[in-house]
Amino acid sequence: MSLLREAERSLGNLQKFRSLNAFVNSVRDERLLLDRVKESDARRELGKPKSPIDGRLIAIKDNICTLHYPTTCASGILKGFKSPFDATVVKKLQDSGATIVGKTNLDEFGMGSHSTHSRFGAVKSLQTGPNGKALSPGGSSGGSAVAVSSGQCYAALGTDTGGSVRLPASYCGIVGFKPSYGLVSRWGVVAYANSLDTVGVLARDCKTVKEVLNAIDGYDPQDPTSIPASTRSRIANLRARRRRVGPFRIGVPAEYNVEELSPIIRQTWLKTLQHLQSLGHEIYPVSLPATQHALSAYYILAPAEASSNLARYDGVRYGARDNASDDTSGVLYAETRDKGFGEEVKRRILLGAYSLSAEVADIDGLACRAMNNYFIQAQKIRRLVQQDFDSVFYLPNPLSSPSSSDLASAEADPAHGSPKVDVLLCPTAPTLPPTIESLSGKSPLDAYVNDVFTVPASLAGLPAISLPVKSTGEGSDMCGVNSVGIQIIGQYGDDELVFDVAELIEE
Amino acid sequence: MFTTVQARFLCRKCLRQTTGRRVQLISTVPFRKHLKDEAKQRRINNGKAKPKVPTARGSANENWELTVGIEVHAQLNTTHKLFSEAATSFNDPPNSHVALVDAAFPGAQPIFQKETLIPALRAAIALGCNVHRKSEFDRKHYFYWDQPAGYQITQYYHPLAKDGFITLYDYDGIAPEDGKEVRVGIKQIQMEQDTAKTLHQLPSTHLLDFNRVSHPLIEIITLPQIHHPATAAACVRKIQAILNAVDAAVLGMELGGLRADVNVSVRHRNQPEGQGVGAEYSGVKGLGQRTEIKNLSSFKAVEDAIKAERNRQIDVLEAGGIIEGETRGWNLGSTGTRKLRGKEGEVDYRYMPDPDLGPVIVGKDLVDYIRRSLPPLPDDHFKVLTSSDRHYNLAPKDAKTLINLDDGDRVEYYKNVTDEVRKGLLNYRDGSRSYAESDEAVVKAGKMTGNWVLHELGGLLATSGTPWEENPVGESALASILTFLSLKKITGTTAKTLLSLKFDDPRPIPQIIAEDDLTLRPMSEEELRGLANEVMRGNERMVKAVKEKGEVGKVGWFVGQMVRRGVEGRVEAREAERVVREMLGVGDVGDRK
Repeated sequence: MSLLREAERSLGNLQKFRSLNAFVNSVRDERLLLDRVKESDARRELGKPKSPIDGRLIAIKDNICTLHYPTTCASGILKGFKSPFDATVVKKLQDSGATIVGKTNLDEFGMGSHSTHSRFGAVKSLQTGPNGKALSPGGSSGGSAVAVSSGQCYAALGTDTGGSVRLPASYCGIVGFKPSYGLVSRWGVVAYANSLDTVGVLARDCKTVKEVLNAIDGYDPQDPTSIPASTRSRIANLRARRRRVGPFRIGVPAEYNVEELSPIIRQTWLKTLQHLQSLGHEIYPVSLPATQHALSAYYILAPAEASSNLARYDGVRYGARDNASDDTSGVLYAETRDKGFGEEVKRRILLGAYSLSAEVADIDGLACRAMNNYFIQAQKIRRLVQQDFDSVFYLPNPLSSPSSSDLASAEADPAHGSPKVDVLLCPTAPTLPPTIESLSGKSPLDAYVNDVFTVPASLAGLPAISLPVKSTGEGSDMCGVNSVGIQIIGQYGDDELVFDVAELIEE
Repeated sequence: MFTTVQARFLCRKCLRQTTGRRVQLISTVPFRKHLKDEAKQRRINNGKAKPKVPTARGSANENWELTVGIEVHAQLNTTHKLFSEAATSFNDPPNSHVALVDAAFPGAQPIFQKETLIPALRAAIALGCNVHRKSEFDRKHYFYWDQPAGYQITQYYHPLAKDGFITLYDYDGIAPEDGKEVRVGIKQIQMEQDTAKTLHQLPSTHLLDFNRVSHPLIEIITLPQIHHPATAAACVRKIQAILNAVDAAVLGMELGGLRADVNVSVRHRNQPEGQGVGAEYSGVKGLGQRTEIKNLSSFKAVEDAIKAERNRQIDVLEAGGIIEGETRGWNLGSTGTRKLRGKEGEVDYRYMPDPDLGPVIVGKDLVDYIRRSLPPLPDDHFKVLTSSDRHYNLAPKDAKTLINLDDGDRVEYYKNVTDEVRKGLLNYRDGSRSYAESDEAVVKAGKMTGNWVLHELGGLLATSGTPWEENPVGESALASILTFLSLKKITGTTAKTLLSLKFDDPRPIPQIIAEDDLTLRPMSEEELRGLANEVMRGNERMVKAVKEKGEVGKVGWFVGQMVRRGVEGRVEAREAERVVREMLGVGDVGDRK
């Protein structure tokens, strides 16, 4: 199929599925877009495409800055805001010949698990549950996931802070990948929680995800957390020295087999493991004991950073401002922020502000050493989660001290239990997508539980993919959803291996 | 109302980061005019009869001990901002140096500009601090329109340097009660960002200039070890002098480059510990409840605000009240501090390590290098200026005055002029005439230059209202004048004439001397005696007073008359005096007391 044909089909779907509310802004001048795609077609015919994604239509989550579309983060506070610059990832996509088809809907500033907390209204999933009930598309990159699953674009960028790419990919039956922290530039990505935020890719298959990832990967001097070339080559060396003959060693974390896991999910997980075993790969049980605290730590750290990052939205320099008086003797930004932010964002700002201030031992205006607030405690748990992962992966963590990145010492210690594994395999979410109806009666805490399997990899900065696996087991034909998101987690920097295993399952 | 100013990236340097739409500058404040007005207001305030700060009643004051700690914020001398490549600037058009991150645009990230460390390290080393190998940046949260991100990036948990000290001497202007010297501990030095500038347009418009946002600052925190207002002012003055000497901070307080917060407490001298004075600050125990006075922008304000706050606290305590821990303000010219916010209104800054910025690692080699290459400090200057081994031989008072003038520029000027005069003399050859180190003219070059730089030049600058930065007399011009004078090629009167000529005459000194025929042609003994006779002849009574009544003081009058009546630039005062004394029989010049 020509690129032009494909683009026209996407634009057709854009019209057809407008009611799904996947986009908050999309292409206005279709002629101009198609002209550009024609140029790509011409390049392809000459055998000189700019890249494998030359001429493809890519959707961008609306918390990633674009020069030519407004960037709203689905928030009232950025109503009509036009960023004066393109994010590095957007620039890189365009340099690769791809065309930005529009900006996708999301949970405001990325805070949510069902894409319902949007100033533009909820995103609707293409799939429906029993009796045609509306299902959650997952969040916060729900718009990107639905745009992909309904064929409105070739692939989409999302952001993943605690599972925001993997969860909607899982709920929408597509592939969603979160790279190792720092591989893809965050310059121009509106921060939710800087130390966790990553740009991820959503597409229908692994190959497409990889194509897009290759286009946006790379060191960016404008992002202070971007992994520099020297570290990248160190990681590459480390991977190259790994013994790569023989079967994969797949770890199954016992802590993920929770009571709340729905039977369909558990059975599909089991089936996937059996499939890999039948291909000759080895399955090992592993233990990640800090997992049980990971979710709590995440919901301290992420809101704390969010409360800080969102302090800039005051209506003074950009964005929306309330008409109420900003008299210097009054409360300057209260009205603007009250009206601009949605409920979930306000909840997390409050939570974050509280956890940063609670129980800080403050003497003499300077903190004493024994600072004891929730934020600092949660950081310690985060470190434990990372150590858990490091203890089960064969590949040492390239960001740890040089001595520990010695492969020889990473060999399994026969005296201490199980051998080390290449990747971990577990579900992306404990249940199938819930119905929208069922969400309304629930507390915010219930929504947070959806992130329980995705958050640990985020805390440790690890690469992780969610892959749709045809669901099996009792009732799988009754629920209206025919796939389950299976997650593969790799050691830091081992993104390629995650794809290798994912592609085995995909086949 | 607040005007949304969205100008960005107007300078080349700032433009480098991204290309984007240039947003129309809404603000139209004539910034230069604003600065001018500010300076004018300052001059008016300075000129005015200074408002009296009430001094505490002597006896009450004796019963109470004052304790003061100071936080100094100084703008570092750097070309870039702390976290962007936008240029630092002082009075460029508003919002012409603002990178995306400076205006806290969504998606923009800070990049620590490593070279800003250099002046910060110089300051830390000059103030005797231990530089930490690893320091980190934290976010300090509070809402204010001049704080675009809603937080200031500072160093809270792991500052750049700690545990330094500053020694203040009597010549630094400390209170007499402090004796010859007092040592004040520096608790820590941290790097942080400056805020935006608010330009008030009455009645209710506030315009924001983001040029200053993220200008690198250091905050220097002293221990509460100061007990007199004058010493506190001397401390800030000396910190400024040190920062200036090591090129860490160039703009002084008068230009807003340095600001100070002080915390003030008093305690009764005879009160045993544990009775109402349980406060402890920075490890200093047994202090009274303190208050903080923010944003003092002159040395005078530091001293006056502390005096006023001390008196207020004593009054409250003596009336049986208690001091509330609160933040107070002080306006130049006011007589008392005023409450800004109480404890209940205290901001919880919710410090958080900045998740975008990694730690700053400073190698020992860098610290060593900076330590080795540190320029001399003001105390070193003082030693150099007052000792004879470096030939300046200045009186301590003159040395101190020179050091404290014009942010240290005056002393540099002085030294360069002196060095040049000495060189001129030592290299002088005219037939057999040459000068050695021991020659009186060479020995006295330092003192003489000091006089001229402070008094003659200082006087001319003051009367013409010329600020030091616009001093029209270059170093070599003054050196030239003083060399000619030392060589007795011109008279003192001629030298003074030349100095004032230089205020608007661009010709080099030798050319002026030649063209205006100012070279001293020494008068012969006969010519001198003739001139002296001429003066004495019409003034017999004066002659008698000297000769018969021994009124030696009147000799000077005769000399003056001779200089006035003689040909301009020919009568050397010393020679004239010698002749007058000889003729009137009142001993040698050298006998004069």
